[in-house]
Amino acid sequence: MQTATGGVAVSFAQQLVDFATAATEFDLPALAKSRDELISAAGVAITIDTAAVIANFEMMTRLADSTGARMQTEVVADRLVVAQAMGVDKVVSRR
Amino acid sequence: MRISLSDVRQDLALAHEQAWSALSEPGTWWSGAQRRELAQTALLAVTEVEPLPPWVAVSTVEGRISASTIAPGAAHDAVYRIARHAATLTREWYERVTQEIDSLAFVELCGIVCTVATVVAFRRALDLEVPELAAAKFGEPSHHKPDNIVDATLNWVPVVAPADENAAVVQAFTAVPQTNRVIWAMADAQYIPDKEMVDPHWTRGTLTRVQMELVATRVSQQRECFY
Repeated sequence: MQTATGGVAVSFAQQLVDFATAATEFDLPALAKSRDELISAAGVAITIDTAAVIANFEMMTRLADSTGARMQTEVVADRLVVAQAMGVDKVVSRR
Repeated sequence: MRISLSDVRQDLALAHEQAWSALSEPGTWWSGAQRRELAQTALLAVTEVEPLPPWVAVSTVEGRISASTIAPGAAHDAVYRIARHAATLTREWYERVTQEIDSLAFVELCGIVCTVATVVAFRRALDLEVPELAAAKFGEPSHHKPDNIVDATLNWVPVVAPADENAAVVQAFTAVPQTNRVIWAMADAQYIPDKEMVDPHWTRGTLTRVQMELVATRVSQQRECFY
């Protein structure tokens, strides 16, 4: 988790990631468990807003992929250091 | 502890409610009945435990959707694939689809999928029931087409000029303003209002910006979305 957050301490990071992971998979027991853990750690309001961010990116990923959205080359270059720290530079575009 | 709908903040509930209602209303290029039908296919796609593989068209599989649809089969096929296999889409696929469906109608169709995907994801994450789709409302699509639609480099779909001066996701739905408004109203309530995006410390008092981006990155990674 520390590697993923670039060494910055992020409150409830593990619970947030676990909830986001479970919410994007078809494992209802894992989703229920991670939701309860996030509620216990961070409360209802944060859990609801986390669900909202998850939902937003379920929307935005489909928006981007269905319309062929691509990032400007200079933006990709700028973000590469952060992407490498988070391990998301390993994501290969199917396009 | 169970979360209930009454725990959801009002602006978010309203954005979802308005977007969901719009699924059964006449749009720009699709009628209310067509939109509702396509939304049902999107619902099927995002909720099926054993989905069809990306290369199988849902309209060719007996019993998956109605045998006689109001919207063309190609539209249902596109909806299903965007809803469940968005990461597999290619330019070649887009060009094949838009030989059968007008590109602006395609943009609106993408908006239907996005609405279904986001509301279902929110409700499912919180173990709340997914709302029923309202009965289709009568009325003709508006056919409103902005005057200044151009091709873009950053997207496959046409956009409102000037192209490529904003981020690809920002310009993507601009050629269908009604769809664009609905989607960005949800984004404002679910994530960050557009004018606050430049503030790395913005918060609505719950998640910090860093926490939001951690969640956003994880979802994007799970969905294999390169953007």
